Amino acid sequence: MTVLKVRDLRIRYADNQPEILKGISFDVEDSDFMAIIGPSGAGKSTLIRCINRLVEPTSGSIELFGQDVLALKGTALRQLRRNVGMIFQEFNLINRMSVMDNVLSGRLGYTGNLRSLFRAFPQSDISRALALLDRVGLSDHVNKRADELSGGQRQRVGIARALMQQPKLLLLDEPTSALDPKISREVMGLIREIASELRVPALCNIHDVQLAKESCNRIIGLQDGYKKFDGETGTLRDRDLEEIYAMEVL
Amino acid sequence: MTMTETNPGPAPDSGQTWSRYGATGAATRHATLLAVLVFLGYSLHFLNVDLSRLLGTFSGVWRVVSDRYYPPEIAYVANAGYLGAILDTLQMSFLGGFIGVVCAIPLAWFSAWNVTPSRRILFPLGRLGVISSRAIHETIWTILFVSILGFGMLAGVSALTMFCIGFAGKLFADEIEAVDMGPVEAMRSAGASDLQVFVWAVVPQVRVAFTGIAIYTWDVAFRAATVVGFFGGGGMGWYLKRNIQQLENTKVSAIILSIIAMVLIAEVFSGWVRARVNRAK
Ligand SMILES: Nc1ncnc2c1ncn2[C@@H]1O[C@H](COP(=O)(O)OP(=O)(O)O)[C@@H](O)[C@H]1O
Ligand SMILES: [Mg+2]
Repeated sequence: MTVLKVRDLRIRYADNQPEILKGISFDVEDSDFMAIIGPSGAGKSTLIRCINRLVEPTSGSIELFGQDVLALKGTALRQLRRNVGMIFQEFNLINRMSVMDNVLSGRLGYTGNLRSLFRAFPQSDISRALALLDRVGLSDHVNKRADELSGGQRQRVGIARALMQQPKLLLLDEPTSALDPKISREVMGLIREIASELRVPALCNIHDVQLAKESCNRIIGLQDGYKKFDGETGTLRDRDLEEIYAMEVL
Repeated sequence: MTMTETNPGPAPDSGQTWSRYGATGAATRHATLLAVLVFLGYSLHFLNVDLSRLLGTFSGVWRVVSDRYYPPEIAYVANAGYLGAILDTLQMSFLGGFIGVVCAIPLAWFSAWNVTPSRRILFPLGRLGVISSRAIHETIWTILFVSILGFGMLAGVSALTMFCIGFAGKLFADEIEAVDMGPVEAMRSAGASDLQVFVWAVVPQVRVAFTGIAIYTWDVAFRAATVVGFFGGGGMGWYLKRNIQQLENTKVSAIILSIIAMVLIAEVFSGWVRARVNRAK
């Protein structure tokens, strides 16, 4: 089943600036763990952030779970967003809060304003958070402040927070680029495992082609706002890579 | 083997030139500087400052102070009535500072472009609120409130509240606009409401800075409270005004000394607390 349909997506950040995405179209199936590769500046982050409307596309269409994303406003947009978990390159944790509170914050979309003001989450959320922290291997760090953790541990908090949303799609923006190679593979492996356990499709920006080939079943290649490749991982040839990375001095 | 043989780099003098500002940029800068200097000279000329008279006033001031204002009547500022006025001034600055800071927080939230709940409506309203509180000087606020509410502490507290809204609101908003947007985006992408984004992603980042600003606001409000009193708000300033009108010069000098002492104490205290708060970061 197709969960995400993107058609002719275009965006410019300001009227007098060049187009960053120049007509991107693709589909994501519910079984996909899809990589978006491309040199830096190609528009990978911009593309992924259009999908939950952290940035506003200029034109085109996005259909997610059968809903027209670009038509949503206010509460409807927030309800859509809580179905989409996002994991960031720089983790984006709240440094001065505990690991537990960071994970619980993934639940804000389901929590009323008043409850969240007093951090009074229902028991079911608390047990879910503890279970997820256990799953990502952080049971011993529940009450630590987020900024006391190592990079790999922080990204595990980020993963748990995204999963708190009970997402139906994961958006990953270079989730391992801030980590060193060994930790990077561990974290990617964990995300991969959990996504298949929970049967959540994922769309993942990766700069590292090798890592993309190892972890993803489909790959989209972006270059300078154009889609240059779209296919099963096995069908990616060196010639395609040369084209995608043509602008980058290797 | 020498460098000159192997290095085909550019010659030391490549004949290229470079300037930090373009030709028009340089012209504008020089013209602006010239205009400022000309206006300064014109203003001095217009004031018709006579240097010898200016120096003469210093000795004049000294004579007046030593003849009429010395010795300050310290006993006057040590009596119960005046000590009560000091307490009034303190209370006024606390109340005004507290209410002002509490009102300034939502206004700052509205008027911070990055996280405002509505860029079209609340942002301009928030900005307008902060700017208009600042645009009107605390003495004018006092005069306004005295004419509405009559003389006394209520007018004084109201004036100080307006002053603190403007003062703290601007500093708070600047602080909010400088937060790391990463956590903000994380909360937005989890479906959090604007209020939740503010409480969860912004407040933890600005809490320490806000505490420092709130204390600083009280300290500045205390200083302003003496002026506010002078114009009818009650407290030390009110005593000052009465004694000036009655030409009780030695009492006036005692009051001025007491104000200087209190402001110094407030400033030292606020500096000390702020240093401690900052260390708690
Ligand atoms: N908020 C923004 N405002 C203006 N330009 C931006 C913004 N974000 C990204 N860009 C520009 O868009 C282009 C693509 O950026 P990005 O999507 O971050 O690429 P990637 O993630 O592939 O490195 C870059 O040229 C970048 O400068
Ligand atoms: Mg990027």
